Parts: sequence; structure tokens; C-alpha cells
Amino acid sequence: MHPVHEAQVIFGIDPTLYAGVLFVLTYVLIITERMNRAIISLSAACLMILGGVLTQQAAFEGVDFNTLGLLTGMMVIVGITRNSGVFQYLAIWSAKKVNADPWGILVMLVVVTAVLSALLDNVTTVLLIAPVTLLITDALKISAYPYLFAEIFASNIGGTATLIGDPPNIMIGSAVGLSFNDFLFNLAPITLVLVPLTMIPIYLIWGRRLEAAPKYREKVMAYQEQHAITDTRLLKQSLFVIALVLVGFTLGHEYHLQPATVAMSGAALLLVLNNFPLNSEEQSKTVHKTFCEVEWTTLFFFIGLFIVVYGLETTGLLKMLAHWVIELTGGDLAVTAIAIMWVSAVASAVVDNIPFVATMIPLIENMTETFGGTEQLMPIWWSLALGSCLGGNGSLVGASANLIVAGFAERAGQPIRFLPFMLAAFPLMLMSILVSSVYLYLRYL
Amino acid sequence: MTAALIMDPNPTALKPTDLISTAARYIMEHRYRSLPVVDEEGCYMGMFGVNCLLRLVLPRAAIMEHGLDNVSFIHETLADLHDRLREVEDEPVTICMHVEVETVPPDNPLVDTLLLLYRTKTSIPVMEPDTCKLLGMISYWDVGQNILSA
Repeated sequence: MHPVHEAQVIFGIDPTLYAGVLFVLTYVLIITERMNRAIISLSAACLMILGGVLTQQAAFEGVDFNTLGLLTGMMVIVGITRNSGVFQYLAIWSAKKVNADPWGILVMLVVVTAVLSALLDNVTTVLLIAPVTLLITDALKISAYPYLFAEIFASNIGGTATLIGDPPNIMIGSAVGLSFNDFLFNLAPITLVLVPLTMIPIYLIWGRRLEAAPKYREKVMAYQEQHAITDTRLLKQSLFVIALVLVGFTLGHEYHLQPATVAMSGAALLLVLNNFPLNSEEQSKTVHKTFCEVEWTTLFFFIGLFIVVYGLETTGLLKMLAHWVIELTGGDLAVTAIAIMWVSAVASAVVDNIPFVATMIPLIENMTETFGGTEQLMPIWWSLALGSCLGGNGSLVGASANLIVAGFAERAGQPIRFLPFMLAAFPLMLMSILVSSVYLYLRYL
Repeated sequence: MTAALIMDPNPTALKPTDLISTAARYIMEHRYRSLPVVDEEGCYMGMFGVNCLLRLVLPRAAIMEHGLDNVSFIHETLADLHDRLREVEDEPVTICMHVEVETVPPDNPLVDTLLLLYRTKTSIPVMEPDTCKLLGMISYWDVGQNILSA
């Protein structure tokens, strides 16, 4: 729990009112998407300090550098690794493994997307898989829609499985001190159920009608996936570092190594390996290019958001909200956990899940005393993670990865429209939440 | 010196209703890099050229924004590429023309116009200010001829 700072808000305004209004305005502006979200959160953060709710020092205390470090480290690693062509290789290899059978390809691409989303971030995964998907479906002369739809679901479900798979998990893990293994043992099992379960309706709606003429399938079979690898040396270096980082995530917790340290060490090592043979001028260019791959907009969005939520927390408003939630659920752990999962899911389908989770974390931390300690809160943390990650499947704006896929579909002349997507996706998302609720209840409550 | 002095005031132009097959044949026969697309009122609409044709024969996943940057794993024949072109050959040129080509007014300074030509690497439409009317085109050849004969 964060310490409370004495607030002296300008013009003698009640700090709770000032921070509350600023927070709501920030949320509204983020939802309306009239302005870049990083600008909104940074401006709101500045107003939180300039308004007197937080001092600059207090604002810095509110920034979760573990989350930022983990995100940045992984962005650098993925930014370098993607240049090796390994992701395209995997997608083509998997398509050929099923003899370019349309439904088989869909299943394989879903598996590849889910696994990569669990180990990397969702946006990068779909950025790399969606173009290959469009290439394959173009060659097979079939609609890309079912494939892209399934990949959206796979990326969000896959991302739920691990600490590093989705930003909400990174934030929750960092705030609560959960390890990579904690997420793996608690959330990965349910995602292993959800991926095949989601494939059933996708098969019934689209899959059973997917067909491609043999001559088109031959075209896909003629792809030479080994040529997708553009830099074998880089591939070896990247796979070595990713393996080290994963070992670091699984074992590091025992040795008090924070995930940010592991990710940043991996990033540093990969930068060393990648730049070692180059002269200083080439190194400058390569490093500059690598750092351009870092999503600075996302990082600045996080920084601003952490400060805004911290400002709100110091006023005690989130504590009040936490008590209100507990009153509403009658202080029952099971009811609270399930309610948080469903509310998180529906909210994450319509609102960016990052600000939602950033707000929910201190709110849930304020429930610690009521439920008798940190250990007792665990089901609620898993609820939040499941709800916010899986909720992203509910609509096209539910997750950044969804919008990336939609952008590709639009450019390929096969647009994914908001309403038709939601009509199919929202019930599917609710189904995944229902199954997750049963899992949560049976395992923890 | 201005753009008007080096432009070709009577450039060959395509109509928006011209089919891709017709335009492709014409461009190949006369070895044009690109031609302006102009409607019946003389209003400039965009540019259609060899780059459009290349775009039509390449896999869409490779030419789109954030698309595949390495396609060396695809081994297609000339017949495969022709098949892809055949799928759109009866479509009008407007489905592929470039509309974001930079244009200049007739009084644009010469050096600035040449710099634009150097940077964009494509012929520049000269437009009547505040209207869509095409006054002429400036190509590498027009510039070369004018400089050599000066």
C-alpha cells in the first residue's frame, strides 16, 4: 500500500474532488480517442502535480518502474528478434505442416499466435502473423476474416497465460510481486482450455466451410520457409537470449530478481551480441533503429497513468470505492472475485484495459484487511487478470492487438466492421469468462 | 525561372474510365513511367504508372503498410504474376492510381521544382492554383532537354 501524502490543492479545492474530476476527465478523453492517449495521460499527470495533489517526488513514487522496465526490455528483445524472420518462418512452417489445408492452417496459426502472445506481447505477435495470414489466404483464394478473427482471440487468450503476455498481467504481477511461475501455474491451465473451446464456434460458423482448390494449396506448399530467415546469426542470438530470459523469469523470483531486471538484462545482452561485430558508426545506427522499435507512446501512457491513479489513491477515493464494492458484495470473497472478473471483462471490452487495471490495482489492495491478508486476495487478482485480458476479445476496441488486426484487414480490402465483429466476439468472450468463473470457483473459492 | 517554363503543356493523359489492361499496354508500348489521370473536365485525379502495375502483381501482404518486408520464401512464376494482373485488368485505372502525388503551381520556383522531382522520383503535375485543372507535366526528360538546350 502506498503512503498517503498531504495534498494542498490550488484554490483550496477539495483534493478528492480535484483528483476525482481529473481522473474521470482522463478516462473520458481516453475512451473518446479524440487525442493520443499518451498526451492525455501525461497532461493529466502534470495537472495532478501542478494542481498540488502530488509533489514531483510523490508522483515518481507512484510510477511502477518494474512494469516499465519489463515492457521496455521485452520491446527491445522483440524489436531485434523480429528482424531475423523467425515469426514468418513459424507461420509458414505451421501452414505447410497441415498440407495447406484451410482449417488446419487456421488451427496452426491460432496455436502459433497463442504461444507467441504468451511469450511476447500481443501487438508484436499479430503485427508479424497477420501479414503472413493475408498472404496465405490470398494464395488460397479464401476469406481472411475467420483467420484474423481467430488470431485476435488467440492473442488475447494466449497473452492471459503468462506474466509477460499482456500489460494487465505485467501490472498486476509487479504490484503484487507475483512471479512468472505464479501466472504460469494459475492462468496457463485455463487458457489451455479456452483456446480449443473458442475454436468450436469458430469452426461451426466458418471453419467447416473453408475450402481451397488443390492448385492454390500447392502454391502455399511451394513456400520455402527457410528463406524467411533473413539472418541466421541474429536468429541464434535471439533464441539464445529469449531462452535465457524465460529461464530468468521462471527462476529469478527465488533469487529476488525482478522481471524488469531480467528483461532489461536480456535486452542489454542481445544489444551487445547484435552490435559486437559492428564499428561504432554502424552500432549507432543499429542501436538507434532498435530503440525506434520501442513503443514510447505506450511507455509514456503508462507513466502518466501511474501518476494519475496514484494521485487519486492518495486522496483516499479508491479506499472509499473499495469499501463500497465490499459492501455491495456483502464482503463475500467468492462474490467479490467473480463480480470483479465480470465487471473487468465487460469494462475491458469497451475501455482500454490498461487504465482500468491501473485503477483496480490500488482499489483491490485496499481490500486486503477485509479479506484477511494478501494470500486471501489471490483469487481476486486472478479474477482481475482473467477479466481484463479476456475482456479484450469482446469488441474491436477491446485490445490494441484487435485494432492492429483490423487495420491489416482494412488494408487488405476485407474490413472487420465493429458491430459484426462484436456480435460474434462478445458472446464468445462471455463464454470464456463463464468458463473462467467456473475454473476460479472450483480452484480457489 | 518557374515550373511553367519547363513543363510539357500537352501531356498524354489517361481517362478515369480507362481499363488497367488498356493503360498497361499503352504504358508498356510507349515506355512511360507514369501518366496523369484526368477526367472529361480536365480535372487532375491522380497518377497511374509502372509502379501501379508492380503493385498489382505483387502479393498484397507485401505492399501494404506494415506488410511483409521479406518475401524471398515465395517462389512465383511470371505466369503467377500475370494471373494476379489478370484478376484486375478489367477494373478502371482509378482503383490503383496514386492520389498523393505532390503537385506544384505554375509559378513554383525552378530549383524548388527540380528538388521535388529529385526527391519524389516521379513526374510532377503542374496544377492551376485553387482548382483541380492540370496545366502540364514535368518529367526528367523535359528537365534534361531544357537544361541541355540552355
